[in-house]
Amino acid sequence: MNYFIQQVMNALGWGSVIALLGMGYTMTFGIIGLVNFAHGEVFMAGAFAAYFILTIYKLPFWLGVLVGLAGAIIIGLVIERMAFKPVRGAGMITLFITSLGASIIVRNLSVMLFNDKLKSFVFPDFLKGVYLLGDLLIFKKIVVIFLITVGICALLVYLVKKTKIGIAMRSISYDSQMAQSLGINTEKIIIITFIIASALAGVAGLLWGVLFGSVQASMGALAVVDAFIASVIGGIGNVFGAMVAGYILGIGGTLFIAFLPPELVGLRPLFVWIVFFILLILKPSGLFRANIK
Amino acid sequence: MSTVPLLELNGIVAGYGKMDVINNISLRVNQGEVVTLLGSNGVGKTTTLRTILAQTNLKKGEIRYKGKNIAHFPTYKIAALGISYCPEGRGIFANLTTKENLQAGAYLLKSRGEFKENLGRVYSLFPILKERSNQIAGSLSGGEQEMLAIGRSLISSPSLMLLDEPSLGLAPQLVELIGRTLREINNTGVSILLIEQNAKLALEISNYGYLMRKGTVALEGDAKELAADKRVKEVYLGVAEV
Repeated sequence: MNYFIQQVMNALGWGSVIALLGMGYTMTFGIIGLVNFAHGEVFMAGAFAAYFILTIYKLPFWLGVLVGLAGAIIIGLVIERMAFKPVRGAGMITLFITSLGASIIVRNLSVMLFNDKLKSFVFPDFLKGVYLLGDLLIFKKIVVIFLITVGICALLVYLVKKTKIGIAMRSISYDSQMAQSLGINTEKIIIITFIIASALAGVAGLLWGVLFGSVQASMGALAVVDAFIASVIGGIGNVFGAMVAGYILGIGGTLFIAFLPPELVGLRPLFVWIVFFILLILKPSGLFRANIK
Repeated sequence: MSTVPLLELNGIVAGYGKMDVINNISLRVNQGEVVTLLGSNGVGKTTTLRTILAQTNLKKGEIRYKGKNIAHFPTYKIAALGISYCPEGRGIFANLTTKENLQAGAYLLKSRGEFKENLGRVYSLFPILKERSNQIAGSLSGGEQEMLAIGRSLISSPSLMLLDEPSLGLAPQLVELIGRTLREINNTGVSILLIEQNAKLALEISNYGYLMRKGTVALEGDAKELAADKRVKEVYLGVAEV
């Protein structure tokens, strides 16, 4: 039993990273129907920007956080401008292929520039250490990561549900032309959505660095698939749903291999796909009501 | 008194892609007037309204609002000038609640107080919307959706409302209610450019009307004269040539 609880505690970290990525993913998916595989590269950009500040230049942590966020937002906006803006209004397939192309280009460029070896990610001491609860080990950093994720989710739900910008986002997702004729500057709202989604990916990248103590140029490749699946399982456009689904995938994946013999650890991604296919068969609209769309 | 019309279309040629739907349309709406566009299906009435909102491909002509040429403004800026739109088929956001639809319509309002005041006005015009305020708009009845669409285009305090077929598919009592409401709205100083298949209703509440045929204006005149005109009747009875 303790082994089970311990595994769940550990998986909260990975679950949080998927949850944060999924929340950003689901927003752009919901608002312009974008299946954004380049979201994983924005995540990587955030992690790498922070890595340069913290590990290479050994600058203070707060600066690493700022630059990490800024790096993610800049890369997110550059990809939006160069890849997605020219095909705005095109069908989902076009957007999907465009994002795949953007993702491949950015990922391979960064592998060429930085190689794909694991790079150690330096983070401050206040995030290190463990609490002991009976014979359970509770990692300080996982508690912090979990609280940050839940807090961000609460903010986002408020933004999407209650604010003027949130209502504009949801009306654009339903009928962008109608939204425009009500005076909503749809381009501006789409850019704001990209900024928010990219910032979330940046936070996720940073937290990945803290969680594993390392970053890697291809780190977005696997994570983005989980984020995509989390956004579908959670109901496209539903921020809260994406978070819950992120934790289901993160914790479920960990438990899935926790009880398998060690040589089958490589099967972890299988869990995500099993959940995905079962859900597509039983409840194709997602666990929660699609919120934006 | 100023003689500049609120809205003036001069020699508009527009359509979708390469195809022209309307050809050399000129019309004007004076401050405080209700103007109606009549004509059978497919003559370009909706295209005319959508051209005013920059949602078509405008090839020629000028659109003046309060004397200013707005022909190449983006849609959201045209809305910000005080032109609101209530499309055929209502165009409500079915994924939002009634109240959220009205909030989307109030996007251009600057203050919360103004929103509250205008919301109160919409609710007093259509009390049923208040009852339905937390209901998902997609689950409203057709009549309620129409009221919501009108309320949504009214809540931003526009100077000019473009209304496309507000009575389409509604029960007779509701059609009457919509007609009365439009007159009430007009009495508060809002000008209206109306497309309406119910010519009798439209001409009753209008000051002036245009009869369109094959993408251009075939006939225009005071609403009373048009109501008596044989050609108008013929169009709506489906009798051949005008």
